[in-house]
Amino acid sequence: MDKKKGHEDQKYIEGLLHNNSFIIQSIYDKFAPKVVNYIKQNSGSTDRAQDVIQDTLITIYNQASQKNLQLTCPFDAYFFLLCKRKWLNELKKSSNKEVTINEAVLSKDDDAQELAFETSVFGEKQALFTEMFSKLGTACKDLLTATFKIKSMEEVAKSLGVTYAYARKKKSLCIGKLTKLVQESPKFNQLNN
Amino acid sequence: MNDQNFILFESYLSKVLSKDETLVFESRLKTEPEFKQAFNTYKELSSFLEHKFENEAASNAFQNNLQKISKAHFNKKEVVLESKKPTKMFQFYKYAIAACIVVLFGIFTFNQFSNPSFSDYNNYDSISLTVRGVQDELLKTAEDAFNNKDFAKTEEVFGQLLEKDHSNKEYQLYKGIALIELNKFKEADSLFGKLSNETSAYKNKAIWYLALSKLKQENYDACLDILKTLPEDADDYKRAQKLIDKLD
Repeated sequence: MDKKKGHEDQKYIEGLLHNNSFIIQSIYDKFAPKVVNYIKQNSGSTDRAQDVIQDTLITIYNQASQKNLQLTCPFDAYFFLLCKRKWLNELKKSSNKEVTINEAVLSKDDDAQELAFETSVFGEKQALFTEMFSKLGTACKDLLTATFKIKSMEEVAKSLGVTYAYARKKKSLCIGKLTKLVQESPKFNQLNN
Repeated sequence: MNDQNFILFESYLSKVLSKDETLVFESRLKTEPEFKQAFNTYKELSSFLEHKFENEAASNAFQNNLQKISKAHFNKKEVVLESKKPTKMFQFYKYAIAACIVVLFGIFTFNQFSNPSFSDYNNYDSISLTVRGVQDELLKTAEDAFNNKDFAKTEEVFGQLLEKDHSNKEYQLYKGIALIELNKFKEADSLFGKLSNETSAYKNKAIWYLALSKLKQENYDACLDILKTLPEDADDYKRAQKLIDKLD
């Protein structure tokens, strides 16, 4: 495994993170066609492929931003695998059929497989968290929104007209509530197994 | 997982726990799996929320930009795919016209090169043998037979007529024609051969029919030779010349 190559392609991750249009365009030109072809050949359409590609790039962006994603393999393989997984999961949801994910098809590149798997799981967790957040009560939503937008806890307390201690406690409980929601969700069990 | 634990998680993450409290906390992570899992989830959610709200602006900017580039890319793809297909119709017409030309050329060439045939020339005027006022059943029969192209009968009846009138060259002519039609070439050629050598009103006709007999036998060389002997004043001279041109 050529580590140098992996580092070279890190430029794509950086490009996404910094919202570099040139890099993003380059990703579409170089890597999108292969994905489009795959999806079209597997009960999909160009439109569905467009959505899959866009969602995948957002996931990569989020992971890069939150977890400091470091590529150790070519972007090509990593990206294709991610899109493929995403598409097959979509098919699974819509058809309820057993969809075999033939991982052997692509390459012997284990790094790509591992990385893609990690990102895939991350992406699904993100989706789950977002969903559960929306299920929180308004009070918690407002508090958490304020807490994370305004970095200072004192200021948050002030704006809400509560004590600092109360604000802090409320924050814990709201995230706690969110934690419970997530843990009780069936999807969470799937992700952790 | 009770509320106290969540408050503990928050304190730990905010690093407001004392050293001892931290040690206790970390030891619980190792010994209590449920505690650990809850904490990990809590931690992930904090990170998630942090990213969601702190980076909201940057994240939205990225997503908007991505949407724009994606749209542009896929619209470009659609335009490229609508390539013009070459009209197959035009190809078809080209070949059809070429085929027609070849066929026409073929017909033309064929006409030029194919040999003339007897059937091009065996059109006879109606004959009239009977003289007004004179009743002759046999003559009438002969006339009718010839005009109706009943050449077997023609031969028979003219034969009968010639028995009565050996030297009647007119009867010989018509009999000879019948012989050709009946493919009795030896007799026909002999008859016309004799007739064409004798001076009479029917000499030139005899030459013409002798030539036609040869033509029917596909003896083109003999036909040609005979035709060339036909004099200019013969009735069939013009036809003969055309035939000569075809055979030559």
